[in-house]
Amino acid sequence: MSRKLLHHGFRAFTALCALLACSILGWLIFAIARRGWPAISWQFFTEQIRLVGASGGIFYNLIGTGILLLTAFITSSPMALSLALLHGVYLREGRWKRALETLLYVINGMPSIVCGIFGLIVFVQFLGWGKSWLSGGFLLGIIMLPTVTVALMERIASLPVRYVEAATGLGLRQSQIIWSIILPQSLSGLVTGSLLGLARAAGEIAPIMFTATIFAGATIPHGVKESPVLSLPYHIFILAQDSFDPSVGAKVWGTALVMIGLVFVLSLIALPARLKMHEEAHHD
Amino acid sequence: MQRRFSFTRLFSYSFSALAAGTVVAMFVLLILQSLPVWQHEGLSFLTGTKWFYRQQQFGAAPMILGTMITAFTALLLAAPLGIGAAIFTSEFLHPRLRLTVKVVIELLAGVPSVIYGLLGVLFLRNWIYDLLTPFDPLSGDTLLTGAVLLAVMILPTVMTLADDALRGVPVIQRHAARGLGLNSSEVALHIALPQSVRGLLAALLLALGRALGEAIAVFLVVGRQDNQWPYRLLSMQPLIQSGQTITTKLASSETNIAYGYPLHWAAICGLALVLMVMVAGITLISASFSRRHVP
Repeated sequence: MSRKLLHHGFRAFTALCALLACSILGWLIFAIARRGWPAISWQFFTEQIRLVGASGGIFYNLIGTGILLLTAFITSSPMALSLALLHGVYLREGRWKRALETLLYVINGMPSIVCGIFGLIVFVQFLGWGKSWLSGGFLLGIIMLPTVTVALMERIASLPVRYVEAATGLGLRQSQIIWSIILPQSLSGLVTGSLLGLARAAGEIAPIMFTATIFAGATIPHGVKESPVLSLPYHIFILAQDSFDPSVGAKVWGTALVMIGLVFVLSLIALPARLKMHEEAHHD
Repeated sequence: MQRRFSFTRLFSYSFSALAAGTVVAMFVLLILQSLPVWQHEGLSFLTGTKWFYRQQQFGAAPMILGTMITAFTALLLAAPLGIGAAIFTSEFLHPRLRLTVKVVIELLAGVPSVIYGLLGVLFLRNWIYDLLTPFDPLSGDTLLTGAVLLAVMILPTVMTLADDALRGVPVIQRHAARGLGLNSSEVALHIALPQSVRGLLAALLLALGRALGEAIAVFLVVGRQDNQWPYRLLSMQPLIQSGQTITTKLASSETNIAYGYPLHWAAICGLALVLMVMVAGITLISASFSRRHVP
């Protein structure tokens, strides 16, 4: 009898935990959607900021975040491909392979504000770029690197061995095997990994606040030096610090809703496929 | 096999070197640039409780303490809830529904920290203020506010990694246990939990690392009061007053001010170095527990 009681009690307790966790998070979405929705209109996307965020829209913030993310994708892809190839093809089991994994763990756990300080030293000061979209994009690329690399590594590891064996049997060289078999077959890993990585990078402020982004007065950058961009998360960050003006308030919530929408769209394209792959891996 | 020149190999090695070089450069630069403050303060950079940059006094102890208090309190709040919820999703929930929940949780893990910060500023701050009324707080900007916000932020991480760890226990063992007459709760408590302890610890440490390194959300709600060293260390007092963490200091405008002054700048870099070493240490311990969980 007491066994049964314990069983039901325990199950109820864990269910309660799950319910509480989900409802905290559900409330969060609801709170933002409810307040942000009234601010959303066509003009909100096509106009630039006016009156310190109290009026106008977020056009150049969207452009700026777009530029940063595109740069981050372009920076992270070659590095991720290289690291994944090293891990899956070139390196044998042993010290170097473990070092590479450790490197990924360290980058993944790196506080993003430390990346920002690093960028301030290297790009802003040593190279004398001032605030520039390029340094922000590079730093965001580093931030998303582990996510992309691990997705690629998993894809490469799950390739059937007979593909490579068949290619070797046909007399292909290692680099030919990489370009004709491994890379085309693991393209989906690059795409899903990048989408998830970009979703994470899109909301980061700490790496770009000193290096790439300003609150107002930037449009489309024309060079590298002294060419900052606006961005969505920094806009929210600045306005959140003094949102007493109700009209500013409405715009902040609107921007927050757009931000969440962007992140969710990026991850939703990638997540189901990736999770399914994980699940299958677990059942082997 | 004969090895000849391959562009692909060169490409792979050089871009990997770029990635590794960036991380190494980060450590080296922060060490080099923080040297003056170590010479000036010595170990009292870590133990000193006074930070007055105009008087060239740099003691980081209150910030280190603030970082520890917020991160550990957050973990204390998030761990039971997250692991409990993970037990439910991995042991009791129907597999198909489980994937849906997992997608939702992963989505929430991706919500940008500034969004949490915004909600913290507009809601949590007031709630904490009301909650603390008996203690007569000065404002709702306290370390506790930061900790609660961090707890919510790391909850999805704890949940999804703990769920992975629990799922990692082989199905065959569950079947065997059920065959011996254990019910599903007993399987969870006596088979799944003990076997996934390492994975769970890894999950918690990874979440702790996240909490230690988070800057933006905490920045908005923690009050950013310098030099808050408590009279009594083991009390609630530091938790319910405003304070400063390493990350919030680094994200503040002082970082911009500091650059022109070598010693002040060294102190900022020293803080970044301390944070980086703390987080890297925790990440590496977590990695040694389980070599699988890079998200």
